[in-house]
Amino acid sequence: MVSKTVTVVNSQGFHMRPAAAFAAEMGKFKSHILLESGGKSADGKSLMNIIAACIKCGAEVKVTASGEDEDAALEKAVSMIEAGLGET
Amino acid sequence: MRIVDLLKPEAIRLHQTLADKSEAIERLIDLHASVGNVRDKEVFRAEILKREELGSTAVGDGIAIPHAKSETVAAPGLAAMTVPSGVDYGAPDGKPSDILFMIAAPLDGDLHLEVLSRLMTLLMDEGLRAKLKAAKTPEEFLAAIDDMERERFDEPKAEEKQDGYRVLAVTACPTGIAHTYMAAEALEKAGKAMGYPLKAETNGSAGAKNVLTADEIAACDGIIIAADKSVEMSRFDGKPVLSVSVSDGINKPEELIEKIRSGAVAVYHHTGAKVAVASGQKESFGRQIYKHLMNGVSHMLPFVVAGGIFIALAFLIDTAMGVDPHAAGGAFGTVTPVAAWFKNIGNFAFNLMIPVLAGFIAMSIADRPGFLVGMVGGILATNGATFSDPAAANTIPSGFLGALLASFVAGYLMRGLERLCDRLPRSLEGIKPVLIYPLAGLGIVAVMMCAVNPFMGMINSAMNDGLMWLSARHLDVLLGAIVAGMMAIDMGGPFNKAAYVFGSTVMLGQAASMADPNVAYQIMAAVMIGGMVPPIAIALSTTFFKNRWTAEERKNGVVNYIMGLSFITEGAIPYAASYPLAVIPSCIVGSAVAGALSVVFKCTLMAPHGGIFVFAVVGNWYWYLLALAIGSVVSMLMLALLKKKPKAAA
Repeated sequence: MVSKTVTVVNSQGFHMRPAAAFAAEMGKFKSHILLESGGKSADGKSLMNIIAACIKCGAEVKVTASGEDEDAALEKAVSMIEAGLGET
Repeated sequence: MRIVDLLKPEAIRLHQTLADKSEAIERLIDLHASVGNVRDKEVFRAEILKREELGSTAVGDGIAIPHAKSETVAAPGLAAMTVPSGVDYGAPDGKPSDILFMIAAPLDGDLHLEVLSRLMTLLMDEGLRAKLKAAKTPEEFLAAIDDMERERFDEPKAEEKQDGYRVLAVTACPTGIAHTYMAAEALEKAGKAMGYPLKAETNGSAGAKNVLTADEIAACDGIIIAADKSVEMSRFDGKPVLSVSVSDGINKPEELIEKIRSGAVAVYHHTGAKVAVASGQKESFGRQIYKHLMNGVSHMLPFVVAGGIFIALAFLIDTAMGVDPHAAGGAFGTVTPVAAWFKNIGNFAFNLMIPVLAGFIAMSIADRPGFLVGMVGGILATNGATFSDPAAANTIPSGFLGALLASFVAGYLMRGLERLCDRLPRSLEGIKPVLIYPLAGLGIVAVMMCAVNPFMGMINSAMNDGLMWLSARHLDVLLGAIVAGMMAIDMGGPFNKAAYVFGSTVMLGQAASMADPNVAYQIMAAVMIGGMVPPIAIALSTTFFKNRWTAEERKNGVVNYIMGLSFITEGAIPYAASYPLAVIPSCIVGSAVAGALSVVFKCTLMAPHGGIFVFAVVGNWYWYLLALAIGSVVSMLMLALLKKKPKAAA
């Protein structure tokens, strides 16, 4: 199990479109992905879960991956969030 | 921010069938527009479609949440639909979507994300999804969400109440159309701004809305009553109650709320039995009719007053210029150019009187769509158009009684039509007010009035024959009483016209059946006196029996002295329209008495119009004045008997 904390930089936070992109990307990994932010946690592969967690711009998110491809999954998740989830 | 606050019941459509995604989007946008969440549908649609191009907003498990932030969003809001058979929304799990929510969010802030998140948190619950799909009414739909919101976000009911409504208010005004709601809005806004949430119950014309519950009353700090009519008070026993006028509610809501907050308001102790005016009660049918009538009358009054005074001025000017009323005949009042100007302008204002009366009555019944039918019905009643003579070149007007008939029948028909049109496809929604209602309404009212008017003409000629029969038998006193009484029956309708036309034709010698020419002049005198009594009687009544009238009616009563003396019977119409059962019989009796006396006194008149301004050509004018006075007093006394005092609430 590996984890890393990153800050959400895109101005709209995890709204539907970035969340969908994120969940779709995470779905490609075998590992279990967990997002924790502001006392809420979400399954990183579930669009609904992520949106329900209401992760806004500036929020710190702890990403945890566990499974056979956990390192690759964590790296992908962190890079996506740090890159603004495809937004500015 | 609660979902149930953003989702109005009117923006929910359940168990719908949709062809495809674009129809779903269209319908949801319509719902937003219909409850006023978005100002410009086109702009909002463009934003929604732009968002869908970036990827479907279906999130799986049968849920789709199309959304957009836009400058055209007036207030953040939601619209929702359930589609049992589902619609292909391009969901990631490939399943059709059967629960659709559309979010409209303003450009700034994180509101959008919060709503989305909150909605998603709720919808993740399979039980809620099942309940939403099963909901039969928008209320059930909202209740399911409400329960889940409380459960998920720790919002127990009691706590919600406490920081929900600390101050309650009841607003009410006599007509219950505008001020009631303005006061409620002002109070709610002020409460919100002061961080002191306030719930306002409106006791409007449509019954009580947003009714305060017993729990809310028990939990609140105090109640503001901003009302100009009585409201159900027993429920507030033992609570601090601040009673003010409805205008205070509109103008100084902050002050009122501050008073409740400071605890400086006395506790209300209810005395006596249940208050007569129960807030939740539906208005009686009679009360509704009265309300519609008053809406028409109050709008008509300015036309009557201003037009009437102009016409009276015209007579005055001609008199002052030394015009001989006998020689001038029907032209009296238009002989000198200045008089003609006043007379004609006054007539134009006067001619609008009946259409305005009918228009606003019908509008009160059927809202905006009723206005056209009432106005046109009124004008058809004044010109008497028929199927055979649609240009109304030679017709008998059905007058204000005809206009009343037109406005009520057409008003209620329009209301029925509005109900029927609810079943039309929603795509026709836009053309209903601009095309369907006006067109159908015009057709309905035109057919009705053209069918009714000929009967008015028949009544008219039958009466003319009857009067001729009487005059041929020299029953002059009876004839005088009848023509004078007829003048008062409908004040411009077929009875009035028949009497007036009879009097003036007899006077002008065209009916040469009179043995004694003086009798013809006596009949004309009786006709005019019959038309002068009603306004004078009304004016006297508002002077000597003040308690029978409202403040506004008393104020306008003074003008009726001038109207009556000028032989402008129409001055009495607003009163006759408001209280027909009291005013019309009283006026008929008073006019008939005056008419009979006028003949007995052998008063004569050689001018067809002009009232007091033509008294110079009245034979035995002092007796004429006496007859007028007696008739008016009789009428006033009878009115005092028939007309009840207005209720305090009215």
